[in-house]
Amino acid sequence: MEVSLRVKRFDPSVDVAPHYERYDVPSREGMTVLDALIYVKDRLDHGLAVRFSCRMASCGSCGMKVNGKPRLACETQLGDLGPGAATVEPMDNFPVVRDLVVDLESFFSRHTSLSPRLLRKRDEAEQESPSGEYLMFPAELESMVQFTYCIKCGLCSSSCPTASTDGSFPGPQALAQAYRYLADPRDEGGKERVEAVDTAHGVWRCHFAGTCSAVCPKGVDPALGIQLLKRHVMAATSPLSRKKGEKTGAEVFKNPNAGLVG
Amino acid sequence: MADKAAANRRGVAGWLDPLHFNIERWAYVFQRVTGLAVLAYVVGHIGDTSFFVGGPFGEGPSSSSWAADLGVTENVLGHLVLVMVVLVVVYHGINGARLILAEYGLIFAKPSRPEYPYRAKSLRTVQRHLIWVAIVVAILAALYSGGLMMG
Amino acid sequence: MRESSLMRLQYVTAVAAIVLVSLHLLMQGVLVPYGEAVSFQRVLSVYRSAVDAALLEVLLLVVLAHGFNGLRIILLEWRQEAAWTRGVNWGVLVVTLALMGYGTRTVILAATGQVT
Repeated sequence: MEVSLRVKRFDPSVDVAPHYERYDVPSREGMTVLDALIYVKDRLDHGLAVRFSCRMASCGSCGMKVNGKPRLACETQLGDLGPGAATVEPMDNFPVVRDLVVDLESFFSRHTSLSPRLLRKRDEAEQESPSGEYLMFPAELESMVQFTYCIKCGLCSSSCPTASTDGSFPGPQALAQAYRYLADPRDEGGKERVEAVDTAHGVWRCHFAGTCSAVCPKGVDPALGIQLLKRHVMAATSPLSRKKGEKTGAEVFKNPNAGLVG
Repeated sequence: MADKAAANRRGVAGWLDPLHFNIERWAYVFQRVTGLAVLAYVVGHIGDTSFFVGGPFGEGPSSSSWAADLGVTENVLGHLVLVMVVLVVVYHGINGARLILAEYGLIFAKPSRPEYPYRAKSLRTVQRHLIWVAIVVAILAALYSGGLMMG
Repeated sequence: MRESSLMRLQYVTAVAAIVLVSLHLLMQGVLVPYGEAVSFQRVLSVYRSAVDAALLEVLLLVVLAHGFNGLRIILLEWRQEAAWTRGVNWGVLVVTLALMGYGTRTVILAATGQVT
């Protein structure tokens, strides 16, 4: 049995424009798109550039578009794709390095720009030399643990409509991680985090198209994190609140799940 | 041309293309398009209602100026435009209400650990039903207003 | 001005618009039959009522603020150059105020002007 792949090839250093190449690959049950691409690279066209590592949806390396949908190639079964050739293209909205490999430099720099680490402000010495473990109640953990499962594959930020035109937008990954730290009761950087996302191209340029959550392979649900982030920013900047932006995520609402339906 | 292809940004097409994506993405596209359509209509409406007072150079309510204005808008095409306006306004308003509730974190499930097959919870709660409410009520309102105007 | 302040305006005008636009649509065809609603006498009596004219004025301000802030957001998402950003922010503000002025003129003239 054979399957056909239609792969978008493009080397910006020599090609004027991208083109599609067709590869016919012997298939077996359970074969993934990544299996097929590795076969192509191994036996048919050594020049195909593709990024991959763990083959088990853990490392986040093999994000790409398969039949127009952003997927991890390693967990996309060929058998699920329907008849006809499978079209394989690089992720949108990141510069193409070559073929299926994109430049994720801006993705990682937008992530680090929102301080994805615990900030301790009350006692500066604690930031570098913590005096002990910081504890969390199980309920506090449950209110933000899902956002910690991000594998930084970039599929969410690639499929976000705002990312199609706005390079200054941090993207769903960075914003969801901003919420992850804001909601973490051990974090004391609430004020800085709110200011960092409350900008002209910050959290407010999300319009809840929800595609980020639809394509996330780990169920992180960044859209939920971002809407909760907006809720927090509104509360922290409200003209009605007495102490603005000084609270940690868990303190703004006595119960971090207040108002959320079960 | 190679630079643009290398940059790989979808541009405005990325806003307008909801194929292969979730229904909330479709709702976003229509919210944006209907918003611009309503704005265009509102600007025109401010212009045409000013003919009640004689237009930009008028001085007060003028029945002749208003009659001339109605002469332009009161016909089958004008009524069809109004029916379309009702359709887009009602959709934009109800979907907008859904967005206000969502962006206040009010119509979601609580965060919880992801379970296989890792489908996002925010896309599965009542907010999704509100999209259908927006579409259905908009169509009903448009049909109703069409009926009212055309007798 | 923080973006959250502008978004607060966007949300407040959105809620106000839902109420006022619904009222406007109901007044223009459901509570009052459409044909009668656009007649000269009926429109005149609406403008001459202080409450109704005030509601129309607030509707005007709310819808223009919400709509043009939305347009501003769309335009700034499209391009981010400094000159474009400055141009859009000022241009949208000027156009919004100009249309608010023109619409308010209609309301005032209709409410107080000589009928011809």
